[in-house]
Amino acid sequence: MSGHPTLGRRDFLAGMASIAIVGCSRKTDPPIEGGFADDGSDWGHAIRDGGGLVEPSGSERVPLVIVGGGIAGLSAAWWLERNGFTDFVLLEAADEAGGNARSGQNDVSAYPWASHYVPVPGPDARHARALFEDLDVLRAGTWNETSLVYSPAVRLFRWGRWSDGFEEALPESPSDRRDFDRFYELVEEARSSGQFTIPSSLGAPSASPLDAISMARWLDDHDLSSPTLRWYVDYTCRDDYGALSGDVSAWAGVHYHASRPDIEEGPLAWPEGNGWIVNRLLERLGGHVRTGEPVWAVSERGSGLRVTTPSARYDCDAVIWAAPTFMASHVVDGAPAVPWSYSPWVTANLTLARQPVGAGIDAAWDNVLFDSPSLGYVVADHQSLRTYPTRSVWTWYMALVDRSPADAREMLLHRSWSDWKETILVDLERAHPDIRACVERIDVMRLGHAMPRPTPGFLSSPERRYFQDASGPLYYAHSDVSGLALFEEAQDRGVRAAERALVRLSG
Amino acid sequence: MNAALFVTVLVIAACGLVYELVAGALASYLLGDSITQFSTVIGTYLFAMGIGSWLSRFVVRGVTARFVSLQLIVAIVGGFSSTILFLAFAYTDAFRLVLYTLVLIIGILVGLEIPLLMRILKDRYEFKDVVANVLTFDYIGALGASLLFPLVLVPYLGLARTALLFGILNGVVALWSTHLFRETLGARRVLQAGCVAVLMALGAGMVGAERITRMTESTLYADQVVFTTTTPYQRIVLTTWRDDMRLFLNGHLQFSSRDEYRYHEALVHPGLASIPTARKVLVLGGGDGMAVREALRHPDVEVTLVELDPEMTRLFSENETLAALNDESLRSDRVRIINADAFQWLADTDEMFDFVIADFPDPSNYAVGKLYTTAFYRLLGQHLSRDGMISVQSTSPLFARTAFWSIVETLRESGFETWPYHVYVPSFGEWGFVLAGKGGYATPNQLPDGLRFLQASQIPQLFEFPLDMTAVAALPNRLDDQILVRYYEREWSRIAK
Repeated sequence: MSGHPTLGRRDFLAGMASIAIVGCSRKTDPPIEGGFADDGSDWGHAIRDGGGLVEPSGSERVPLVIVGGGIAGLSAAWWLERNGFTDFVLLEAADEAGGNARSGQNDVSAYPWASHYVPVPGPDARHARALFEDLDVLRAGTWNETSLVYSPAVRLFRWGRWSDGFEEALPESPSDRRDFDRFYELVEEARSSGQFTIPSSLGAPSASPLDAISMARWLDDHDLSSPTLRWYVDYTCRDDYGALSGDVSAWAGVHYHASRPDIEEGPLAWPEGNGWIVNRLLERLGGHVRTGEPVWAVSERGSGLRVTTPSARYDCDAVIWAAPTFMASHVVDGAPAVPWSYSPWVTANLTLARQPVGAGIDAAWDNVLFDSPSLGYVVADHQSLRTYPTRSVWTWYMALVDRSPADAREMLLHRSWSDWKETILVDLERAHPDIRACVERIDVMRLGHAMPRPTPGFLSSPERRYFQDASGPLYYAHSDVSGLALFEEAQDRGVRAAERALVRLSG
Repeated sequence: MNAALFVTVLVIAACGLVYELVAGALASYLLGDSITQFSTVIGTYLFAMGIGSWLSRFVVRGVTARFVSLQLIVAIVGGFSSTILFLAFAYTDAFRLVLYTLVLIIGILVGLEIPLLMRILKDRYEFKDVVANVLTFDYIGALGASLLFPLVLVPYLGLARTALLFGILNGVVALWSTHLFRETLGARRVLQAGCVAVLMALGAGMVGAERITRMTESTLYADQVVFTTTTPYQRIVLTTWRDDMRLFLNGHLQFSSRDEYRYHEALVHPGLASIPTARKVLVLGGGDGMAVREALRHPDVEVTLVELDPEMTRLFSENETLAALNDESLRSDRVRIINADAFQWLADTDEMFDFVIADFPDPSNYAVGKLYTTAFYRLLGQHLSRDGMISVQSTSPLFARTAFWSIVETLRESGFETWPYHVYVPSFGEWGFVLAGKGGYATPNQLPDGLRFLQASQIPQLFEFPLDMTAVAALPNRLDDQILVRYYEREWSRIAK
């Protein structure tokens, strides 16, 4: 070939032919594949209903059993190993450990199914820092750059455009500004009271006047009426509790904002979300973990306990109950029913063949849609080292706040995948008009009991004390006892349950 | 009706269509989304022609003189339309406003032309013949223009000169009309003088078009576009003008064949020539093969080129014209080409290198910015032999001074000693590079043969910065806080305005 590069005649004809083919066939957007991901509700309902579970034949003697392989259970196991105690098993009902931190992987990226980040732990969060030192995320007081959220961290879709940042971009009018300023002042006061801590073992009281009223009422009492601020507070309540500000206590609503020291860095995040931590822990602890082992009975046996699954009876001296606490009343002899409810969620992982268009700045890690019923989406592969992602995975989050948790769970059982697909696409379409042409696949996860809902009175309820103070041989380690579906809380509860169990076993 | 009249109609029609196509094509080039650009430009234009036709009723007296003046106005506005749009894009924020205003004005003027012409002719010929002939040649002219535009005009003249050429044709028609309709025309001398003035202005524009469009900087393709392709990663555009060939990626000038040797010699030799023991050289980015060409001048060196876009390395190794630019270096058996994302590839490989050339596009967005972070340089450090060095293209220390020193700071923060330097590259301006290493640096006494710019004796001078480029306080660029992208954006947007 001499001279300039040109389009050859054959290329031209091929091009025309392909245009003709596309022109003939492409009347609608390409079909979107997908379905429901396994949410474990089958064995969950089986345990609850107590039917269909066979008496196991085998039995095993083991000093300590951990029930539940989410962050609390894995953290308990991590602590035991770290302290040289290896005589335990961890029983996980699902086929994979991880709980709310479980994750998936496809040919584009790893992605989370629920929890997807950890705020940089403050200097007092000893256990969390120790874990991250173990995982080489924290070295000599410095956080590993590749584990911190990459720029740009967050963007907000409002007035038809994406703009940089979130909280700082929200106030619009002088009255918004005034209410936001006042709100942050009140948050500062709350923070300096020392009662709002992460983990809550660092100083949370067991009663607070704020526990008696709802967050919405608290805002009313302080004359905070800016619609933008109210939307923002609702957003944060949906984010951490899966409920609106009228449905959670002011203690919980304020906790979201006042519990963490002001740290510029972070948060910590990985493509698979907190599944990264789960996978690192499983690499070390995998030998102790038995999956597909739903525990359907825990009963007293002498001074110890007997834990029953479909495959074996485990006779042990102590049990760390790290499964959701509401399951205990169906399984553990004498355990009361929990007084609080759980917020249902739906999450979805969307596999995109290309980046959709969107007015304003480029995609961030966290992408918030103002006035949307969803929490927006997180770009899973934002935390990859690739500089030019073409395909992508987005994790979309929605807390079902528009009806009672029971009604919402009923809806979850019956609503079809294609209805969810439409809900998701309609939500994203506002910001990305061509989203339907970009999405290849949508996998939907239904989480019936995603988060505890700390309604007014939660903190002071006597049943909560029961689980909080259980002194063995069974220890409750799940974060729902604190009303906080947070990594640090789960990790701390798991570690502290393991500490107490160790004292019992050695004493 | 005589042939001269037919030609007049034909040229007028062709001119009208060309201005419309120029506006549509320019808007597509500059804004992307050609469907939207073309359909809104055509819609506005046709509607404006309607306004023009309606306005023609208000032209009562001196129709012929008005027709000639109209031609002259169309010639000027249409002829310079492309230049005006280039300038509007480069120097204002109101490109769309200028675009549609211009389209509206030209549309109205062109819409006036045919009704006026018909009225001039209606007394000379039968009305049915006037309508039939004028419209026939109007449509033939439109066909001619629409075929010439993509096949001949844009490839050989470019958009700026095409518009100017048709402005000149419009002017010639005006001049010709003063002869054709001499019986009905008053003030002929004045009009003819006007025609000459307009033609001279357009002629001057034709000569100066290159300079004007150059002024609008590297984001625009003022020259003849000889090749474009869109890959999953970027838009590749190659232009030529006389003996100069330019490569644009996503609208950013990558090199001009007239002076790229300055850039690439400076990027490679001050560092590589200082490590006589260097064997393994890694080139990151730089799929055009120019940095590889320079590295291969060192006879003992083997090169690994990691370029994301396979289309780039394919073009620059297979296409004769382009391969000639890099001395066919990408076909050398001393070169290994890997098409991969540099960051990911480095994280996955165990290989060690003696010299690394980071020739990435400027850090103008968060995606490319990742390749200028402490995380990236630390990783690079793990693949560098003990006496190895890195050479980093680091944007302009003059135009983006804080950004340049932020790159230096990022390398220091990543544990390197740094030796920043700069050269002058006419098509870029003052350009900066940073050498980084952990084992000290001494400027080389000897350079390989065949260089066109660098002399060993002058290398120490490159490390001297004049007062307007000396170090300023800047923060290091981190994955989780890409301050460099913000510095870069702030400083270059100041230059663009």
